[in-house]
Amino acid sequence: MTAKKFELMAPAGNMECFMAAIQAGADSIYFGVEQLNMRARQTMNFTLEDLPEVGRLAREHNIRTYITLNTIMYDHDISLVKRICNAAKENGITAVIASDLAVLMHAKSIGLPVHISTQLNITNVDSVKFFAPYAETMVLSRELSLRQVRAIYDSIEKEHIVGPDGKAVELEIFGHGALCMAVSGKCYLSLHTENASANRGACVQNCRRTYKVVDIEAGHELEIDNEYIMSPKDLCTIDILDQVIDAGVRVLKIEGRAKGPEYVYTVTKCYREAIDSYFEGTYSKEKVKNWMQELETVFNRGFWNGYYMGQQLGEWTDTAGSKATTRKIYIGKGLHYYSKIGVGEFLVEAQSISVGDKILVTGPTTGLIEAHIEEMHVDDLGKMDKAVKGQKVCLKLDKQIRASDRLYKVVNAEELVS
Amino acid sequence: MAKIVVTHQRDKCIGCNYCVELAPDNWRMSKKDGKSVLLNSVDKKGFHTTYIKPEEEEANRLAAKACPVNIIQVRS
Repeated sequence: MTAKKFELMAPAGNMECFMAAIQAGADSIYFGVEQLNMRARQTMNFTLEDLPEVGRLAREHNIRTYITLNTIMYDHDISLVKRICNAAKENGITAVIASDLAVLMHAKSIGLPVHISTQLNITNVDSVKFFAPYAETMVLSRELSLRQVRAIYDSIEKEHIVGPDGKAVELEIFGHGALCMAVSGKCYLSLHTENASANRGACVQNCRRTYKVVDIEAGHELEIDNEYIMSPKDLCTIDILDQVIDAGVRVLKIEGRAKGPEYVYTVTKCYREAIDSYFEGTYSKEKVKNWMQELETVFNRGFWNGYYMGQQLGEWTDTAGSKATTRKIYIGKGLHYYSKIGVGEFLVEAQSISVGDKILVTGPTTGLIEAHIEEMHVDDLGKMDKAVKGQKVCLKLDKQIRASDRLYKVVNAEELVS
Repeated sequence: MAKIVVTHQRDKCIGCNYCVELAPDNWRMSKKDGKSVLLNSVDKKGFHTTYIKPEEEEANRLAAKACPVNIIQVRS
């Protein structure tokens, strides 16, 4: 196998993330359209009107695109399901990621390829056989060990289990990002406490809060080391990537459709480098250490290998939010790009920036630009060391920026606290 | 008698069907886009508004409370 045959799939909640994923080297991108996906609560979702542009960008950059269409479906959803599938087909979207049988049936009827969502919780080869007439690719349950994944892969090869395209069914797993405390998303906590069904993409994340355990009869409160009793750490497989690939996995998916472009960019870039180095034969512990450090700079709850290495119990995080070692702070907006001299002009709307700062520029067309400020020109004052709120600042940037872009400063998380 | 106003921020609806279950006289699921419809409402910049009868208030308050994305408002 070569790196070309192994697919790195990145998440996108909006155009900024979509472009950031492309720039970071994703082979494919998945995203939600309208409300029938597992991030329906998030304001970040694509609409049917966005699909022509998404299809065009995908062709231009030669990447595959997938629409998540994997909530539970009611009768009143079927018309929208059909419209989304039809629009996907028309605009050259590669496949839909589905769990409800109504979606499988409709997609098959119009010749639109399907990926079986992890919501269907595939944990054995017989289930693979059952869904093979409908789907080329299957996302396995996140609770399997790599040994079990390998056994499923071996059976697919041995028994020649093929998808609708006549090729062996490909296995996909989640490689990085948030993990659900319930088995592959089948959680009812949010539904029971807030009427907000996780299975309709409206999870309120009860599991991320702190809890006390009290014996109601005797009134004793149990002593527990960690009050985040059901908030899993985030999944990370960059340090076991060689074993993941050897287990027969062909598609590695990064979680995070609700996360920002800097997250998508950093995580995708690290895994891109790791996958390429594996196939070049240069994957090493030293490199893994560097990638881990980089992955820690963006949102995370601490990392573990999930269930892939066969751990018996989950590992729980000890913080409410992120353990990221850096944070981004909003500074201002883009104004103009002077392409002849390669200079971007911004209006500082909050805080300040100084020479030496690390900055991020993000935007729906720009995607993501990372840079260090080496010099800056402020208003009409010429070369300065610092720009504050209300001032216009010009920065040397190799890539074009636009009026729709936002400028951020990247700071160490410790600095922010003090 | 004070009028009872119901408002629905329809764009954000995730089509869970709770409002229809709790206040079927005032709500329907749209088969077109899978979101709920507040019957006889007027759309003003995405806020769909209508008046309801006093006997319908309780059911609509339950619907507002049940809405997982908090986009239903009942005022009287």
